[in-house]
Amino acid sequence: MSGGQYRYLFSPLRLGPLTVRNRVVFSAHLTNYAEDGLPSEQHAAYYAARAAGGAGLIITEEHSTHPTDWPYEKLIHGFNPSAIPGYRRITEAVHAHDVPILAQLNHNGGQASSMYSRLPVWAPSPIADPMFREVPKAVSTGEIVEIVRGYATVAEHCVAGGFDGVELQCSHSSIVRGFLSPATNIRTDSYGGSLPNRARILLEIVDAVREAIGPRHALGVRICGDELIDGGTTIDEAVHVATMVESTGKVDYINTSIGVATATLFMIEASMHIPPGYAMFIPSAIRQKVSLPVVGVGRFKDPVQAERALADGQCDLVGVVRGQIADADFVAKARAGHATDIRTCLSCNQECVGRMGLNRWLGCIENPVTGKESVRLPTPSARSRQVLVIGGGPAGLQAASTAAQRGHRVTLVERAERTGGQVALAASVPSRAEFLDVTRNLLTECRRYGVRIRTGVTADLGLVSAEQPDAVVLATGATPDRPWWAGELDRIVDIRSVLDGTASPHGTVVLVDDLGFHQATSVAELLADRGCAVRVITSGMVVGQDLGITLDMETWNIRADAKGITQDTDVVVMGGAPDEETGGVTLTILRHTTGETFELSADWVVCASHPRPADELWADLSTMDVVAHRIGDCLTPRRAHAAVIEGHRAGVAI
Amino acid sequence: MFGPHETNLGRGRALSGRHTAYYAARAAGGAGLLVTEIASVHESDWPYERAPLAAECGPGWSEIVSAVRPHGTLVLAGLGHSGSQGSSAYSQTALWAPSRVPDVATRELPMELGDAEITALIEGFASSAGIAAESDVDGVELNAGQHSILRQFLSGLTNVRSDAWGTDKARLLREVLAAVRSRLGDRLLGVRLCCDELAPWAGITPEHAVQHVRQIADSVDYLVVVRGSAMAGSATRPDLHTDPGFNVELCGEIRSGMDILAPIVLQGSVVDPAQAQRALDEGVADLVEMTRAQIADPELVSKTAAGQRIRPCSLSNAKCLVRDNRNPIVTCTAEPRSGHETVDPAPDGRDAPIPVLVVGGGPAGLEAARVLAGRGHRVRLAERSAELGGALRLAALVGGRSRLGTLADWLIEQVYALGVDVHTGVEVGLPELDTAEHVLLATGSRQGRREFSSTAAANVLDDGEFYTRVLRDGVPAALPAGPIVVHDPVGGPVGVGTAELVVAAGVETAIVTPDQVVGTQLAVTGDLAAANARLQQAGVTLHKSSLLREVRAGGATLENRFTGRQQEIRCATVIHCGHRLPEDILGEQRPELPLAGDCVAPRTVHEAILEGRRAALELVSRSKTLAGAG
Repeated sequence: MSGGQYRYLFSPLRLGPLTVRNRVVFSAHLTNYAEDGLPSEQHAAYYAARAAGGAGLIITEEHSTHPTDWPYEKLIHGFNPSAIPGYRRITEAVHAHDVPILAQLNHNGGQASSMYSRLPVWAPSPIADPMFREVPKAVSTGEIVEIVRGYATVAEHCVAGGFDGVELQCSHSSIVRGFLSPATNIRTDSYGGSLPNRARILLEIVDAVREAIGPRHALGVRICGDELIDGGTTIDEAVHVATMVESTGKVDYINTSIGVATATLFMIEASMHIPPGYAMFIPSAIRQKVSLPVVGVGRFKDPVQAERALADGQCDLVGVVRGQIADADFVAKARAGHATDIRTCLSCNQECVGRMGLNRWLGCIENPVTGKESVRLPTPSARSRQVLVIGGGPAGLQAASTAAQRGHRVTLVERAERTGGQVALAASVPSRAEFLDVTRNLLTECRRYGVRIRTGVTADLGLVSAEQPDAVVLATGATPDRPWWAGELDRIVDIRSVLDGTASPHGTVVLVDDLGFHQATSVAELLADRGCAVRVITSGMVVGQDLGITLDMETWNIRADAKGITQDTDVVVMGGAPDEETGGVTLTILRHTTGETFELSADWVVCASHPRPADELWADLSTMDVVAHRIGDCLTPRRAHAAVIEGHRAGVAI
Repeated sequence: MFGPHETNLGRGRALSGRHTAYYAARAAGGAGLLVTEIASVHESDWPYERAPLAAECGPGWSEIVSAVRPHGTLVLAGLGHSGSQGSSAYSQTALWAPSRVPDVATRELPMELGDAEITALIEGFASSAGIAAESDVDGVELNAGQHSILRQFLSGLTNVRSDAWGTDKARLLREVLAAVRSRLGDRLLGVRLCCDELAPWAGITPEHAVQHVRQIADSVDYLVVVRGSAMAGSATRPDLHTDPGFNVELCGEIRSGMDILAPIVLQGSVVDPAQAQRALDEGVADLVEMTRAQIADPELVSKTAAGQRIRPCSLSNAKCLVRDNRNPIVTCTAEPRSGHETVDPAPDGRDAPIPVLVVGGGPAGLEAARVLAGRGHRVRLAERSAELGGALRLAALVGGRSRLGTLADWLIEQVYALGVDVHTGVEVGLPELDTAEHVLLATGSRQGRREFSSTAAANVLDDGEFYTRVLRDGVPAALPAGPIVVHDPVGGPVGVGTAELVVAAGVETAIVTPDQVVGTQLAVTGDLAAANARLQQAGVTLHKSSLLREVRAGGATLENRFTGRQQEIRCATVIHCGHRLPEDILGEQRPELPLAGDCVAPRTVHEAILEGRRAALELVSRSKTLAGAG
């Protein structure tokens, strides 16, 4: 069959000298897999897994074109000819699956610091980037020549390394973007001012790179359709630039993007709070003026949605990055008609985007193999073992799935009527529903690999003895713990009581954020939506301190403002007492920065505090003659990624 | 002593050749003993990406010993385990800790160690000491100070166990010492011990520490007295807001409480040899750790012995505090070669003299002149203003940052001592440039762009104007009455320090930042939390997540960065602490001339010194090439 329900997704397309067999692009994104500035074995294994999984076209992460460009530690130094052997390793691994692969070329320009390069940062004008906050050197015309030559040199390296072509990064974070944007280019020479002047360096690079790669390799240009910053590039200019690029006759396709990597990153790698397809106005507008194939991007997480964008004529190809980070077989599963088997991306941004920003290798919250494709797992034991998994949250489900995939006979017991653990509660708050996919996907996998799932069953030693397992995996999660100051007051409750409906706070509510992630902020939104007047307080310097890592900080603050939620920081709760008059609670609060103490009254107090492990069975298990593993929150309560990683590890270890 | 500290010089989790060169430079400079970067004793500990793992450090320790011992310096291997202050990002396993108490900064819950893990931990210390001994180090130092599970066991903040490891909090430390000693033989065994967590409600106090010391004094060869914990993360190695030698009193308390005397090491921002000598003379300590001082000047000991001035450590922490997920290489504001010993050439040497005109007497020009004169060249240094020091002088005027002046003083003193022909109050014109044989431009920066609008009647000063024209003897003078708003789009030390100066003069003060926290860039120096607390205590109004949009006479408009919501505030004067622009008029007219520092792009003193030095060496090598060609 040729794609079945996907009339467009699986139709081949010519990109200049190349033909892609389907429309799904694994577009360029950072991985932090480089070692000493060179591509690594992990790069090859990572891209090869997506090629094996059926991607139509792969575009690698950026290759730096000049030594002045080194904004983050693990950047590939494409200007160094030593990169070529690593390029060959990548391209051979990908070509083995008959998938074309392009290299992205870039100079990050002023969106960088001199920390690694120990050289002045180069940019069109001496305007400091809002994230890096280092004033760059305005490049001279001689240096512009050097930049252009750098692109050509790296393009030659890429061709020598076996790439099928190159893409010029002119969006996100790029010196070309810097030149194109009136916000960062205030030059008065022939490279500044009018749009043709601002686009001059791009057209010079197109000429030089085409010259370097010859006619048999593809050349793409990635353009930002809206920078979403004061005085920045907007769609009309972007379309104009696309027409200029097309009229060179030297470019084979246009890729698109939205936002600036350092100022409006939250709109580039949008989390689940932004609707899918939010950036499709960009390829749509470009397609109306340009006949080159155009790539659209923006939170495409299932093949049906991608098919619809193609059918609607919004774009000719669809960039699916996080969707293929989460499931390397995204395309193959769609093609085989098993789209529901795809481990759909949650757009949680926790282990992909989040780890990137912290200079760590790219991973995935629900795919424990992502980032470790080059690490061989031990061969499964020859003997199929009887495995009992206790607990059906993400840790238990992952352990069961991994063990079953490795040939073991697995039974999973869950005390509640449904699997999913705390994920189901976490996903019940406004705009977080997609988080539920993590356990839905795992449950699908468990079923596919024949895990016997028994819900509504409380495990005890009797059950363990009766099952006679060779191995037990304890994944019994955590239970809420009251902060020391909460006493027995029934108007002080845990977030879980709110989410599971056992408590229904009303009136004024103080939410105490001890966790710094989505827990407090999302429950605050839920209660505000129900009409409560909510104030979120934290001992930290910022409410939801880790929301910035997943790019949720901006949208949280926008929504909080709209919902009338107030915030206070640097405060510690020192005690709580019943307010006899109102029936509510009066908290005694210390502002630890100044030593000032004050009282705060509310009808209800909701705590987002650390729970404690529900590990009662662990001590008992150690008395039994059985191999036992303790994973996830019942080891110590953490975030979902830890549960999945430990579940996988336990599943492999059996 | 050159104490243990994070360097990010490692390769993977092993020590590297860059480590060896880094330590060897301090040994060659006369350090008495050095302790290598703390290596994790067990794989459960991976606190930062380049954190050494003892199991992989054997070859590195051997190499360091070979390079350092010829200089007569002792090498001790630093060993530790970060416990709940580590990171699970690299190991992807649960953090280890005595009790399930979340770390204050990361809020991550560690797992509570069972007996099996405690046994493994003790064995990890012992086997790591064994590897170190086999590598022929002179001894090991165990970390029971900041970032250590040994301290977490000693402290009521983090150890709430009810078993024998909780009722007897020093038990783990004692058992670890015994196990380590058994593998170490006669080699030295030191302990870096937290003697004050600055959290008296449950933490280790000096009184507790005395009890701990009494239990271990006979099993150790020396003790380093340190303070701080996760509750006071930057107290162990604070920046220039804390006076040098802050542990003198604590050392005295510990010493007077000891029943068996073990040699004591004074740690804590000791950067002045005279202070170190005083501590020894007064019996406060037997050894003095001077780590940052030897990052700033690797030859601290030999220069001091020879009666020479050392390159001063300003304690700014801007470049040497590298527990930062970006993995910056340890280096120094004043000595950019530190940490880059294998990459950067040493600036000293002798050349056939050439005449050089250096234009600009800020840090870049001073460093260039110093290096050139040191190599025997005939240097003329021309500075437009009446005083040398440039932006470094202004930086030292910022509230709380006067110690930066020590670096300016040192550079100026060196330049004069080396016979540089200094001219202040001199504007260099094109004729002079064109007749000079060799020229280096280091002309600094000028006022930057303003991203906000202001009416004609608005009173807006940029920080440069404020420090040169308004501030008199540390007090703002001649400003119109009414509130002052410090606009800080940068988030570095200048905005915060300026607000502190102004509010200290009794003026109603506010600070405007686009960030959710004031002074975000201070995170790297360890001053972030303290700076925010100081501002609040002083009564400065904090306008966070705010953009300054417009300034008028008497008022200003702010806009919330997230929501776009606008707010009017009262304001008589705005002090704009923004990014600056290069002062490059001469450079534009003579683009072939070499440039260094802010006139390339306005950045910090570190880049100015780095480029001043680099430009000087390049100029010399170019002139040699030319001479050779001629």
